[in-house]
Amino acid sequence: MRMSGRGRSALIIGLQGIRARKTRTLLSMVSLFLGVLAVVVVQAGASIAERALLSDLELYEGVDGTVVMDMGGTSPRLGSIVTSTVAGRSDAVAMTSMQAVIGEPGVRPVNEGGAPFDGSWGDPGPPMECDETGCRELPAAEVQPKGQAIEVRLTALTGNVRQFRPYRPQAGEWLDFAAMPSLGPRLVLNKEAAKGFQQYRVPAEMRVPGASANMTPHFVGVVDDGDQQPRAYVRLDELSHWVPENKLVDPNMGEVRVLMVAGTPVEQVLSTKLKAVGVEPMVRTVNSKKDMADQLSLMRLVFLAMAGLVLLIGVAGILNVGLATVGERVEEFALRRAVGTPRALLAGIVLAETLITGLLTAALAIGVSALALKGVVAFAGTSQPFLQGMQFPWEAGVAGVIAGLVAGVLGGFIPAIRAAGIPIATVMRA
Amino acid sequence: MTALIQLSGITKVLKGQEEPRTILDGVNLDVHAGESVAIVGRSGSGKSTLLSVLGLFDRADQGSYILTGDDISRLPERKAAKLRSSHFGFVFQRFFLLKHLTAAQNVAMALVNGQGWLPRRQRRAKVMQALEEVGIAHLAKNRPTRMSGGEQQRVAIARALVREPRILLADEPTGALDTETGALVIDALQAVTARDCALILVTHDRDHAARMGRVMHLEAGVLHDRTGVSA
Repeated sequence: MRMSGRGRSALIIGLQGIRARKTRTLLSMVSLFLGVLAVVVVQAGASIAERALLSDLELYEGVDGTVVMDMGGTSPRLGSIVTSTVAGRSDAVAMTSMQAVIGEPGVRPVNEGGAPFDGSWGDPGPPMECDETGCRELPAAEVQPKGQAIEVRLTALTGNVRQFRPYRPQAGEWLDFAAMPSLGPRLVLNKEAAKGFQQYRVPAEMRVPGASANMTPHFVGVVDDGDQQPRAYVRLDELSHWVPENKLVDPNMGEVRVLMVAGTPVEQVLSTKLKAVGVEPMVRTVNSKKDMADQLSLMRLVFLAMAGLVLLIGVAGILNVGLATVGERVEEFALRRAVGTPRALLAGIVLAETLITGLLTAALAIGVSALALKGVVAFAGTSQPFLQGMQFPWEAGVAGVIAGLVAGVLGGFIPAIRAAGIPIATVMRA
Repeated sequence: MTALIQLSGITKVLKGQEEPRTILDGVNLDVHAGESVAIVGRSGSGKSTLLSVLGLFDRADQGSYILTGDDISRLPERKAAKLRSSHFGFVFQRFFLLKHLTAAQNVAMALVNGQGWLPRRQRRAKVMQALEEVGIAHLAKNRPTRMSGGEQQRVAIARALVREPRILLADEPTGALDTETGALVIDALQAVTARDCALILVTHDRDHAARMGRVMHLEAGVLHDRTGVSA
């Protein structure tokens, strides 16, 4: 794209004007800097906040676009239908959760009910006993003493769920679904479960309701799954060595969920099979970004309005300097008109100067913000996972450039009109 | 031969005061290509106003202004700017050079005026040619603050000539110079008539006026031909 002769003339003369009045340009930039910086920071802050919230949300909701199918009902065939349909597929993963106690047999776990270890769930209430028919309070005589055991929610997976929920590795490794299933189930703990096993030394014996025998689990890794409840992940095929298919779904607290990519035939096939056994699946698509954008947009608007006010003060500064400069350059503009420069170009020269000033300020504000973010990432990146590898959001750069341009236009508009109206006779009367 | 400029019955009244004052009262003037004309008169006689009308800075209240056969008496500002660029060159008493620009950049100002676009190389060639014409090409990179008054006025003349105007209007160009330097500036101005450019010089200096082809005297808004009339 080539500029017109007038555009190029305005640019050349504008740059000459800026070079000739470096201090004034600097003062204009100083007055504008805070305003543009405020816009950049608000926009960057909103983008970073969105990313931070989204990154946590993705851990338990799934990445945007994931189709989630939840199953209701207690059909004994539920587990086998889901696993037989989904097993071995890369476009869908089934997860089923059940209670598991790891530790000494014959005692109550230290965190009964799978509660977090900080006691944030409060009093767990009287001990309960659950079976296929429901849960009942245990008679006092049958209540076991608390001992060296930890209760976790055990989530059995048919495939790599991290494509849908990007759990953050903390230690060790994630479950390897390509390897042969092991007889002793390999577990990956979440952070809360890992905390429990750090606090309490318990024997490596795992009890799962409905299992044919107690198992010896192998901990292979720890992930951050965003869950406050102690949880362990296991390959479903490894667990099924010990737990029959019809027992894989806890009839009382069972969670069966299938995560799949949009458009996979699994959704239709599974729905049909489930409806045939009287289970009505609930299907939804994760769209966290949109939901969150709605929540964030109001906050962003409020902050942008505040930044706009700061920018307005900068505009007043640039306007003030612009008017003073035009007042000083009356003879120059009159002379330019005398040599044939049209009024529109005179206005263009002044606008070019303020626009260049606005753009230079924007570049400075963006540079400072990017450097500051780099510093924050280097300083706090290890403690805040969402900051790791964070780049300066391009939206903030665009917002800064727009703010600079708008400030340039607003601040230069009135001086430009003044410049265009200077009579040529000024040079005759001088 | 058709006149380059034909003014007939040009009247200009200064309004906005208690009594409207007639500055130009039916001025008639024909100027041909390559001709040099001096306009003399007392201060406040309307010489600069006449030059403003001639140079399209201002518009006459009455009368007609024919330039190269076209009536431009009621020209809109946009077209007037274009004509100022293409037909006129201006030299003022004060040189009006921009201090932050070099001599060459000051001259180039007349080329970077939004009336057409010349690539940098052509622009530079024209600027150097104009500076050479007035004998100061060696000062092209100097800023006005490092030049004498005569040199600065020559830069101003080069700026007026760089677009090869058909009419050069000079308003007391030697007013801020000593006699010797003033004479050199008049030499430089008069040289333009050799290339068919008309020169209209407003001056108080009788010697400089006498060097022009015609001398016109402006008195009470009326222009009289005083060529050959001695003081």
